[in-house]
Amino acid sequence: MTNNKSVLVYCEIMNGKLASISTELLGTGQRLAAELGQELSAVIIGYEIEGLAQEAIAYGAQKVYVVNNPLFKDYMTESYLKVMEKIIQQLTPGILLFGQTSVGRDLAPWLAFRLNTGVSMDCMALTIEPSSKRVLMTKPVYGGNAQAVQVCENDPQIATIRPKAMVPLTKDASRTGEIINIEEDSELISTKIKILDRRIETTVGVKLEDARVVICGGRGIGGAEGFKQLADLSNVLKGAVGASRPPCDNKWISDSQQIGITGKIISPDLYLAIGLSGSSQHLSGCASAKTIGAINKDPEANIFKVADYGIVADWNTVLPAFTAKITELVGQ
Amino acid sequence: MSPVAENYFGISGYAIFWILFVVAIVLFLQRAYLLVRFLKLGQPENRFDHLGYRITNMLIVTISQWCNLRTVKKNDLAGIGHSFMFWGFCLFLLSYFIFIGFGGGLGFDRLITNTTFEKVYSSILDIAALLILISLLWAAIRRYILKSPRLRGHTGAEAGIILSLVGSLMLLHILIEGFYLAGTDSASVWPPVGAALAKTLNGIPQNTALTVYKGLWWVHYLVILGFLVFIPRSKHLHILASSINVGLKSLTPKGVLTAIDINNKDNLGISKIQDFSWKDLLDGYACTVCGRCNVTCPAQLSGKPLSPRDLILNLKGYLFEIGPSLIKNNATALLSETATASANHGKTLIGNVVSEEAIWACTTCRACQEVCPSSNEQMNKIIGMRRHLQMVAMTETAEDPLKNLWTRGNPWRGTLYSRTDWAEGLDIKIVGEDSNIDTLFWVGCTGALEDRSLKVVQALAKLMKQAGMNFGILGEEETCCGDPSRRLGAEHQFQMLAGNNIQILQSYNIKKIVTACPHCFNTLKNEYPQLGGHFEVIHHSQLLAELFKDHKLNIPQRRDCKVTYHESCYLGRYNNIFDPPRQVLSSIPGLNLVEMEKNRKDGFCCGGGGGRILLEEKIGQRISEMRLGQALETKAEIVATACPFCLQMFEDAAKAKEVEESLKIKDIAELIAEATDVSGDPKC
Amino acid sequence: MKNIIVCMKQVIDPESPISLFHIDSVTNRAIPPKSTPPVMSPFDENALEAALKIKDTEEAKVTVISMGRKLARAVVRLNLAAGADELILLEDDSFDDFNTYFTANVIAQAIKEIGIYDLILCGIQAADTNAGQVGTGIANFLGIPCITIARKIELSGDKAIVERALPDGFEVAEVQAPVVITTSYEIGKLRRPGAEGFMTAGKKPMTVWNSQQLGITTGTIGQVSIRQVYQPTHENRCEMIDGVSPEEKAIKLAIKLKEAKAI
Repeated sequence: MTNNKSVLVYCEIMNGKLASISTELLGTGQRLAAELGQELSAVIIGYEIEGLAQEAIAYGAQKVYVVNNPLFKDYMTESYLKVMEKIIQQLTPGILLFGQTSVGRDLAPWLAFRLNTGVSMDCMALTIEPSSKRVLMTKPVYGGNAQAVQVCENDPQIATIRPKAMVPLTKDASRTGEIINIEEDSELISTKIKILDRRIETTVGVKLEDARVVICGGRGIGGAEGFKQLADLSNVLKGAVGASRPPCDNKWISDSQQIGITGKIISPDLYLAIGLSGSSQHLSGCASAKTIGAINKDPEANIFKVADYGIVADWNTVLPAFTAKITELVGQ
Repeated sequence: MSPVAENYFGISGYAIFWILFVVAIVLFLQRAYLLVRFLKLGQPENRFDHLGYRITNMLIVTISQWCNLRTVKKNDLAGIGHSFMFWGFCLFLLSYFIFIGFGGGLGFDRLITNTTFEKVYSSILDIAALLILISLLWAAIRRYILKSPRLRGHTGAEAGIILSLVGSLMLLHILIEGFYLAGTDSASVWPPVGAALAKTLNGIPQNTALTVYKGLWWVHYLVILGFLVFIPRSKHLHILASSINVGLKSLTPKGVLTAIDINNKDNLGISKIQDFSWKDLLDGYACTVCGRCNVTCPAQLSGKPLSPRDLILNLKGYLFEIGPSLIKNNATALLSETATASANHGKTLIGNVVSEEAIWACTTCRACQEVCPSSNEQMNKIIGMRRHLQMVAMTETAEDPLKNLWTRGNPWRGTLYSRTDWAEGLDIKIVGEDSNIDTLFWVGCTGALEDRSLKVVQALAKLMKQAGMNFGILGEEETCCGDPSRRLGAEHQFQMLAGNNIQILQSYNIKKIVTACPHCFNTLKNEYPQLGGHFEVIHHSQLLAELFKDHKLNIPQRRDCKVTYHESCYLGRYNNIFDPPRQVLSSIPGLNLVEMEKNRKDGFCCGGGGGRILLEEKIGQRISEMRLGQALETKAEIVATACPFCLQMFEDAAKAKEVEESLKIKDIAELIAEATDVSGDPKC
Repeated sequence: MKNIIVCMKQVIDPESPISLFHIDSVTNRAIPPKSTPPVMSPFDENALEAALKIKDTEEAKVTVISMGRKLARAVVRLNLAAGADELILLEDDSFDDFNTYFTANVIAQAIKEIGIYDLILCGIQAADTNAGQVGTGIANFLGIPCITIARKIELSGDKAIVERALPDGFEVAEVQAPVVITTSYEIGKLRRPGAEGFMTAGKKPMTVWNSQQLGITTGTIGQVSIRQVYQPTHENRCEMIDGVSPEEKAIKLAIKLKEAKAI
């Protein structure tokens, strides 16, 4: 039934190279394809993207569809949609994978509706259901408090994958594959959407509301200097720095970073409480974090009642080694 | 021999007398009329109910000077000085009518001169004049040399003029008597001071003395008339306005804020001067600039931009600035805020005359109103402006808690508890399941949802069970009583919450309610009747006191500890509940109760009232830390509270001051519960 | 006058205490906790705020559509109190809140019934499904464009100028109305009801349509089936990391977090 189907992966480009999400998608796509006895294909759309197809092959793609055209330099919903529809018409993939990125969140649902199929967004795990041979897609629901396991009843089964949730294959330049260049007609559908401007913003780190990882400091940090160490750690983890009330009162950190009843209420995946006792007003702001780690020199500190992992020690003695190890692990 | 009866350069003294009088009266009335016109710019308000009581109260309080004497303290005896000045003033005022008016201007001098009445009365006046002069000296020393704290920060020029005018009247009075006696019957021994002065003037020829006497008499008359003209143009206006203000004071229970019809778009709070009622504006006239409010206001004392005195005076100044053009433009209340501001060079009420920070800094502790001798009402004005900010201007202040009240029925966003978690395992009736109860235990949002406060309501529930009470809770059906909404100015939200609660309470036929929170207590008891909810409400301190009295609770053994009790504003000043919590504490044998200096009616706020517990305190010193400092001075080991807000504020303050180890903060219910647990530590 | 339709979903309160969150393994849905009333999905509230911001500056009519099995009237009326002009409730037993395709279809049908629209706004994703597709689906069924993850919306004549959040910046798109726009939290928190809004909420129109009235006869079409919704077991116990030195503890913790896929 699914033998002439394939797995198609949408590869994104970052700074002239394949974005890491693309390699992760290829990794998981390859695993699914192998299990189902299918072929793994990739699609890359952009401009001046020579060499990327080869890179995709090195990461596991057996076929790569390339659209290399100045009109496709930047993502535009309607034109990219048209290209994808054309490729899918040709290829008829059984499984279609995107990243949960600003492109994926836009393109995947459009395709799902256009193709009369369904999509599961922000998946963290994909496995094959033995009975139906269809993909079981696991994704967070209820803000991450629960996980839903879903199956798409039609083909292609579409999923967007959370970045960093999957593992890429080791790059192997000796892999070979087929590169198919798609000549897109220069005549673009007159789009109803016109992009007037596109700008990079010098972001001062990740916003607290969006951050998946939050490093939070309390009274024990002792001063603004200490928060610099927390900022270093949060940069490694691409997270944000927050604080309970005392550091904000003491002006060690800006008020806008206060977490708690009178500050922000967040629910990151990982919350590290450093030198923070864990008053209830503060915990109200972060109680729904998925994993909580705490470092505090007081073994009776309230924070340990809600944390998953704890170290009883002066944070000054722990943080440098911790940050170093984390840097090492993240880089792997 | 009245100087009025003589002729001066061919002009009749009577003519001069009456012409001067008419001029002065006209100037006085002209100003008085303008003042009344200014008042009429304000909204109507009915303060004329219970007229008999109001007039009687006004007369008694004014004449006895209770308004001043009740705030006399060891370190502030000025009220006594003022009382002498006032009583002296009354005597002198009467004398002016009799001697100058009736005797002089109307020419009935013969009927008075040399009568026993004159002898006695003028002797009394002499003594009064001396006492007044001494009081004036005392006042001047207080103001200009000692620089008394409550007199600081406001122009002393006007005060100086008044002191000088009164002083000169007294001096002139004595001089007049002296020179009169010197010019006529120098052997007289009455009036005493005048006679003494006359003796020293022995050397002066009688004619000269009489001439000086007449001259001084006219100067004295001019000064009186000058004073008359000056009064409505200075803060001395208070001699007319204060007394009236006392008579017009609010007769509702202290804790009640006015309800407004929120359907009326033009009545949604105060954003321009015409939105105040005429009574609000009268407060400005009645203010004596005594500064008592300023030195008792916790916001002012902790460095916030709120000054209760300046609030009143700045409003008065603004009224005077903008009044004339409003009158000219036939201003009615419908004149928009911007138009009013542009009538005064862009000066807005909220922002320029009163800053927003000042408006939000108020903890509604009522200390200012408690000590004001003129019965001024600062809080209504502040709440009025808060109402505008919350219901019309949609300020960002308190956004989150108020939004939470709309969607979740409580102000504690992010709480980790449900309304019934605290009651787990305590086997407490839920009224929805079993409505057969005598008393409803109104738990309150803070008691049910705030970590530290859970222990208090648990302790109270255990005690009520121990005492065999048949009570229940609303559980999930309970939502916020509405106090924070109302205090923060979201009156529409208050009326919604209160309306819903009243419906639920009435549906269960609830008659008697006990609550552990003074804010819930005040709102349920004093404010729900405005919306049709009449219930018998008691606070847990009153309940526990009752239970001890009826021997339903007792504490078998000693608990030695030194405890100081912190007065909750909403329990103490608002509802006069001072003794029950102390009785409760005294029921613990061995407990040594020490009082802070500022206690009972003078209790110092914890800083959490007026919805401020839901706001951040960024300016100046923390009010809670100041109060905790006062508690530390008593060397007590425990601060006992009867309010969940005070409890929280002090717990935070104790952490900030790093005294958590040496100073424990406990609710009285917790102390009792711990004490009745015989297995516990005999030391608190 | 601009006609703005805002789609708002009623969900279980995402800020309800975590201890009250339980999945019913039979229905595969969370059990509504007794003590916390439902709320409007937070990103949808941002959408309403975006609509009200437009209404602040020009003449506009804001219609709120909400679809579900049982909609709490007090909760949906709060939207009228905040400033919306009309409420249309799509209420039916068959309206499963986890069926994205069907939801988009039904709402598009309702919008067709309404007829006139310049802007259709909804949140980037619902707080319960975290799916993020209904906006696109509605656009698809109505044959109009869709701009996702908007952080600022301005109207210029019959065009919408939309600032769209990108991971490293933003882009500004100009699109001809009618268009669907999905909004993120940067657009602004939903204002709370002022006195006027609160008082007039009760007088504003509220209509209720069920599946029959909407002409939905094809049963619940869905493309995705849910096999299971489960709550990962969470031990309420803190694992204290031990070690001979603080450095050792630090390294152990880092490794544990990596193993737990927390980093």
